[in-house]
Amino acid sequence: MQVRTGPFLRDTVTIEQVMGDVLIALIPTVVAGVLLYGRHALMVVVLSTLSAVLTEAILTRAPLTPKGIVGDGSAAVTGLLLGLILPHTTPYWVPIFGSFFAIALVKLAFGGLGHNIFNPALAARGMLLLAFTSEMIYRTDAVTGATPLWSTGSFSWPLFWGNVGGVIGETSVVAILLGAAYLFYKRHINWRIPVSCLGSAFILALVWGLDPWHTIMAGGLMFAAFFMATDMVTSPVTPVGELVFGAGCGVLTLMIRQYTPFPEGVTFAILIMNALTPAIDSLTIPHVFGVGASHKDRIRGFALTVGIVMVLLGALAVIENNEPRVRPLISDGHYLPMHELLGDPDVDVVEVNETRYYVVRDEEGDPRRVAFIAERNGFNGPIRFLLLLNSEHRIERVSVLKQGESPGFGELITRTAFLEQFVGLDKDSSFTAGKDIQVISGATVSSRAVISGVERALERFDEAFFGVDGPGTLNDGTFLGQAASFGGPLEVEVVVSGGKITSVTILRHSDTPGFSDRAISGMPERIVAANSAQVDVVSGATLTSEAIMSAVQAALESTSVGQGHELELDPEALETLLPAIIEAQGPVEAVSGAAVTSGAVHGAFRDALNIKEGQ
Amino acid sequence: MNRLIQRTFPRGGDSAVPDHKAATEGKPIRSLPVPSIVVIPMLQHIGAPCEPVVGVGDKVKVGQPLGKTQAFVCAPVHSSVSGEVIAVEDRPLVTGKRALSVVIRNDGQDDMVRFEEGDLEDMSPDAIRQKVKAAGIVGMGGAGFPAHIKLNPPKPVHTILINGAECEPYLTCDHRLMVEKAPQLVGGMLAIMKATGASRGIIGIEENKPDAIKQMQEATKGQEQLSVAVLKVKYPQGAEKQLIKAILDKEVASGCLPADVGCVVSNVHTAIAIYEAVVQGKPCYERVVTVSGGSVVDPRNVLVRIGTPIQALLDFCGGLLGEPAALIGGGPMTGPPVLDVYGPVVKTLSGISALSYEEAGFDVNRPCIRCSRCVRACPAGLTPNLLGDYSNRGMTEQVIWLRAQDCIECGLCSYVCPSKRALVTWIKKGKADCAALRAKERELGVSICK
Repeated sequence: MQVRTGPFLRDTVTIEQVMGDVLIALIPTVVAGVLLYGRHALMVVVLSTLSAVLTEAILTRAPLTPKGIVGDGSAAVTGLLLGLILPHTTPYWVPIFGSFFAIALVKLAFGGLGHNIFNPALAARGMLLLAFTSEMIYRTDAVTGATPLWSTGSFSWPLFWGNVGGVIGETSVVAILLGAAYLFYKRHINWRIPVSCLGSAFILALVWGLDPWHTIMAGGLMFAAFFMATDMVTSPVTPVGELVFGAGCGVLTLMIRQYTPFPEGVTFAILIMNALTPAIDSLTIPHVFGVGASHKDRIRGFALTVGIVMVLLGALAVIENNEPRVRPLISDGHYLPMHELLGDPDVDVVEVNETRYYVVRDEEGDPRRVAFIAERNGFNGPIRFLLLLNSEHRIERVSVLKQGESPGFGELITRTAFLEQFVGLDKDSSFTAGKDIQVISGATVSSRAVISGVERALERFDEAFFGVDGPGTLNDGTFLGQAASFGGPLEVEVVVSGGKITSVTILRHSDTPGFSDRAISGMPERIVAANSAQVDVVSGATLTSEAIMSAVQAALESTSVGQGHELELDPEALETLLPAIIEAQGPVEAVSGAAVTSGAVHGAFRDALNIKEGQ
Repeated sequence: MNRLIQRTFPRGGDSAVPDHKAATEGKPIRSLPVPSIVVIPMLQHIGAPCEPVVGVGDKVKVGQPLGKTQAFVCAPVHSSVSGEVIAVEDRPLVTGKRALSVVIRNDGQDDMVRFEEGDLEDMSPDAIRQKVKAAGIVGMGGAGFPAHIKLNPPKPVHTILINGAECEPYLTCDHRLMVEKAPQLVGGMLAIMKATGASRGIIGIEENKPDAIKQMQEATKGQEQLSVAVLKVKYPQGAEKQLIKAILDKEVASGCLPADVGCVVSNVHTAIAIYEAVVQGKPCYERVVTVSGGSVVDPRNVLVRIGTPIQALLDFCGGLLGEPAALIGGGPMTGPPVLDVYGPVVKTLSGISALSYEEAGFDVNRPCIRCSRCVRACPAGLTPNLLGDYSNRGMTEQVIWLRAQDCIECGLCSYVCPSKRALVTWIKKGKADCAALRAKERELGVSICK
């Protein structure tokens, strides 16, 4: 018999049982995720779990038996949790790399089970969000886009059952609650963290005038409150500490959602609170039996603290008067109630050039109000936006429906202050970026994409309904056009024959080699193919592409002006231009403000020289 | 369905410790034949050890004092057999420590000294205390605090509480005593009330002992000042402050005594011993011990003479089924391991638990996963996971800050821990470190730690 110290009775619960119960609790969420998103989602979850388990087994040199590889089950929990907070469209390497990061760097590097400061799954997701934004794009879309259009501020059943969003495990509230109920039954979690987390978010949403039900049910807050914030290792052990921790998670989540460009705050909110956990623990050492305040006093004290914090936050919100970000109207592929949007049940649907126009007509059959969706390539894939035109065909509203721009930068185009600039403009307005429409600093490319997209959408609408000059009306001939580009002026030659654009040649440009190459080589083909100056930009070379389009447009316009009329040349421009050309023995930079004159003079020179060479 | 409800809402809350009392709670107390040799340690209580007043070769009778002292916190010890003193020397105790002991060979006559009977009605409080002191009564629940000091509380007392909770698993000696000696217990309560000047007496019994509750209710019938409080089953509940909280809903402040809230708490066995000392004049030379656990062939409650070797007790109960996983002097939650089976039964030994491997659980010391089960379980409101870690690392300043001195060493933190950490063992070490630090401070006359 071995002599040991007491107590000699032990509860039967073990670490393996705790971890096994968490895995069981996650089953409903996995099932819901797979039902909603299919096999790819299942693969993501399986890959992340396997990768986490194997990473731990290899790095800890566990015996290669089934039992040794599974270990205490904590790696499987981490892997499964990570899989469930990844977007369902993510490539397969993301869960594998994420799990490796979570286990190797967040857990084992700190000393393994029980010693990690941060929740491994959330830390891995934070890393993926920052480092591989585009692979986590659905994440952004899922949360900002999950808002059902014109949400009325009441409880939303679709959100409850789960049919919106894009993250595997976060969409079905009912599945999350089922799993949480199991954990409650098994007494592995208690009410404090989830209730204070969701409760504080709910109250703060009410204070800020947001939709409280939507706040706690959309996005990852519900899942995180039950499965992430309650992670034993990284949350406080004291009862009061648990309440403080949960409240901190809820409040920080909302503050991050509201005041930072990150659409989903819960990941970083919980990571911040994880870091504060030791401090919270030591500040909330429970009242020792026979010491200190009575139960009632403590409850009163806690309520008072929460109240004061809430009032301060509310005051902050009022003082700051931070303009709330515009939530996109719908999520990708979901019902868009155009009738409500146009305010008239009698809506015609007209499809012209692959664009569907929703039109409310007046008595004479002319469009009175029109709504349609247009798309433009931004920095990071297409930006889709909704245009609503009033009876004068001026813009009444622009809303970004879908975008994948970088969080914190390009994504700022969804802000009201930017989109409101378009209100009241029509197709004849000037859309010069930086002058007529302020671009957002840090989001230049995305802003410009929206600006040119709106401009082009208006033109296409005009073409579709009022039949401005079609492509066939072009006059034959060779034309020159010029536009300012990224690195300086850019010049094109456009050949029109048979009323169609047959060739586009870039004569001169000084854009950065490498970046602009694709536009220089790709844009002429696109323009010829479309027989129009308005085509999609080459992604990665947006500015050069746009400059080429403007230059071609300028060339085409020069013919319509020049044909059959005396070209009105600018005498002042001629005075500076002609000596310069003679001096340079070739084309020179256009005189600013006199592009047409410059173009015409250059064209004339070239024609003259061509004739001379031909002789 | 019933099982589902029980599992969901276990009696005693989150951390119910199974009581394992079924093996012995229905078995009447049996007397162990008087052994041929007894070893009677001079220190069976908290306080100064007694000095032997007999020498080798002296003849002694049952109940004859063997050791006395003039120290304030002390209780005399008495012979439990009649016979000849064959040695006065250091002998090992059950816990492995050694103590000066008087060894007596039994002559089989069982001659008793004449006991001075008394009448409770006529006695003054001081006379009661004198008789209790002379009889060598100490706290027989395990604490071993001399009873005559407890009967002289520093502040006025209005209530005496008898701890019939017996929350420790396996132990049933108090339970059986309540069933079999209810009148004596009532007498003991009256004696304590008279000595302390209290006006009411309450006995708290957990609801898993319905027969004891019934007996006590009958025995206290007609006595307005006595009552029975039925308690929920909960571990730990028998500790003084927890019992006061459970019965009177009063918290005794940290570092204070029950007398500060006007209470005196006594154990069932102690109260009966007080009655016997006061009314019959019988000194404390025997006690009831529960022998239980999965390794014991025939678990029993045994009335046994002080000084009997543990081995004789085990043999009386049929011996052990193979090697036990743990042999414990007391209950499995708080009792120390038995290091010497020839060590003697002492006044504070309430049981012997011999656990089989199926029942016993041990320290594995896997990493803490901060599940906070220990924090929720701790009856003293401590944070055992932090306290255990700091104690284990010798960070005494933090141990003091986390109020280790309020730990009642119930072992519940170790019990509930899914990582099977030796929390209570570490905390005990931390408490010892704190005491050493305080002693050092006193010695140097400085304050090392606030």
